[in-house]
Amino acid sequence: MSLRLENITVAVPDGTTRRVLLDRLDLGVQPGETVAVTGASGSGKSTLVAVAGLLRAPDEGRVLLGGTDATALNDRGRVRLRRDQVGIVFQSPNLLPALTAREQVEVVAHIAGALDATARARAVDLLERVGLADRLDARPAELSGGERQRVGIARALMNEPTVVLADEPTASLDPERGQAVLDLLLDEARRVGAATVVVTHDPDQAARADRHLHLSRGTIQAGSRA
Amino acid sequence: MYLALRELRVARGRFVLVGAVIALVAMLTTMLSGLANGLVDDGISGLRRLPMTHLAFQHGAEETFSRSTLNDRDLERWSGVEGVEASPLGVSFVNARTESGKTVDVALFGVPAGSFLAPRHDAEEALAGPPGLVLSHEFEEQGIEVGDRLTIVGVDEEVPVLGFTYAGSYGHVDIAFTSLETWQSLLYGDNARGRFSAIALQGDPDTVAAAAERIDAADGTATVTKQEAYAGSPGYAGETQTMSMIQWFLLVISALIVGAFFVVWTMQRARQIAVLKALGASRGYVARDAVGQLVVVLLLATALGGLVAFGAGALVGNTAVPFRLAAAPALTALGLLVVAGLLGCLAGIRKVVSVDPAMALRSAD
Ligand SMILES: Nc1ncnc2c1ncn2[C@@H]1O[C@H](COP(=O)(O)OP(=O)(O)OP(=O)(O)O)[C@@H](O)[C@H]1O
Ligand SMILES: [Mg+2]
Repeated sequence: MSLRLENITVAVPDGTTRRVLLDRLDLGVQPGETVAVTGASGSGKSTLVAVAGLLRAPDEGRVLLGGTDATALNDRGRVRLRRDQVGIVFQSPNLLPALTAREQVEVVAHIAGALDATARARAVDLLERVGLADRLDARPAELSGGERQRVGIARALMNEPTVVLADEPTASLDPERGQAVLDLLLDEARRVGAATVVVTHDPDQAARADRHLHLSRGTIQAGSRA
Repeated sequence: MYLALRELRVARGRFVLVGAVIALVAMLTTMLSGLANGLVDDGISGLRRLPMTHLAFQHGAEETFSRSTLNDRDLERWSGVEGVEASPLGVSFVNARTESGKTVDVALFGVPAGSFLAPRHDAEEALAGPPGLVLSHEFEEQGIEVGDRLTIVGVDEEVPVLGFTYAGSYGHVDIAFTSLETWQSLLYGDNARGRFSAIALQGDPDTVAAAAERIDAADGTATVTKQEAYAGSPGYAGETQTMSMIQWFLLVISALIVGAFFVVWTMQRARQIAVLKALGASRGYVARDAVGQLVVVLLLATALGGLVAFGAGALVGNTAVPFRLAAAPALTALGLLVVAGLLGCLAGIRKVVSVDPAMALRSAD
């Protein structure tokens, strides 16, 4: 199991009471498996991604990435684990305005202290795979929404992650372009064998994943295999 | 600093304003350092040039010549000390009228002809003859020539100009040397009774200090080092304090400006920082990136401001403004400026490291 969430509870203060966003949630994703998560707005989908991506600590429960219990690590250890094992595709592409497409991907290796010739070649290779071979030196302002999200996908794969998380990666794209970007993400994630969780609003998109989960009242309500 | 340097290159415009302000502060700091040197020169260069190590003043005179009167008896005590040379020194400020009727301020230094204080050999000879003045070169610029006769205002005595020397100035007034007898007669007339202002001493610091302890106690004198005596120069303490106060203010201003910019800029970059962290960057990584970026701006702008000031300094160098740029104090001041800016950044560093990486998950608008 590449990604394992055990008994995850997240609650936030809500006036005088506490509002439970995730309620003893369990989820396991195999290497190379893709899981789509749907749910109403405010149902806790982004919270789930934040917990799985170690961007937010759960109030209760354990998060295991590639067999390592992240909840047992200190801050520094969690940052490392995220750096080495997790790739995230954000809802807004979140590209860094000053960097070219190539640099957006390279910076991941720089953060890991491993920006060498091999890494540079790998960044170019990933960008070619997402269809941006001729946009390597374009900055975000010069890229279309779809192209930006493709750069985001290449960036998420740069650290050879065991877990890929995507939070509504196609929300800002029209349906046609969104479909293409999602297919690309799923294909690439399967190719590299990453356990993948994609949050989406679109049932058509959800159907393309290996498994489709629906989040409601803090837990997974229904599961289906594609 | 992968992101920081690229951002500096691409978004150069964002840093122009803060860079310009830092450069201006650096310029001001450099100019101020030159002005401080110039004022010090103007205040005490005459004392600095005299080949003495210590000065003995009258007790309570607070290193001020005009408040100090000693006489030959005090001198005798020092004359007997082995390894220490002692010379009486008369210092007073007078007005002198030139032949063209103009009045000039003169710091009149009375020195015995044979004294180790006599500025140069030819000057020493001049002082040995009939009464006359050896003037600081600055007087030449006012059109005074050798052979001119200056009238000392008040006593209405005429004294001839015997020559010029690099005497410097004291209390912002250019110095004229004369023999001690001439000085005494100009000041006291026929009633000098061996009086002068202070005793100049030259000797090994330990020897002088040991003798000073004994003589000061017995004689009611106050012996200080030459550097300590600078404080008695009119205006010296006030000027140096004002200068250093302005310099401290500039340091504080610089720290505040850089710190404020850093915080505002960090808030604008918060999402970028969150993205870096979400990509696995440690607190150290984002902190180095953010601070490093501003340090680059700080260094470039400071260097630019310093260079411009040195250029401008060369232009004012030959005017009446007391201004002298020296590399060491100017570089020290600029270095402190960079340190102050860095401290300003570090004060805001919490803003950077505390950015929540989960922010990257929220939609941009
Ligand atoms: N730190 C927090 N403090 C208070 N409330 C929070 C916090 N984080 C999330 N919430 C709330 O928890 C709920 C779930 O948020 P989350 O972003 O996970 O929903 P979501 O399923 O991603 O919704 P959407 O489809 O709109 O993106 C929301 O109502 C949100 O306002
Ligand atoms: Mg969401």
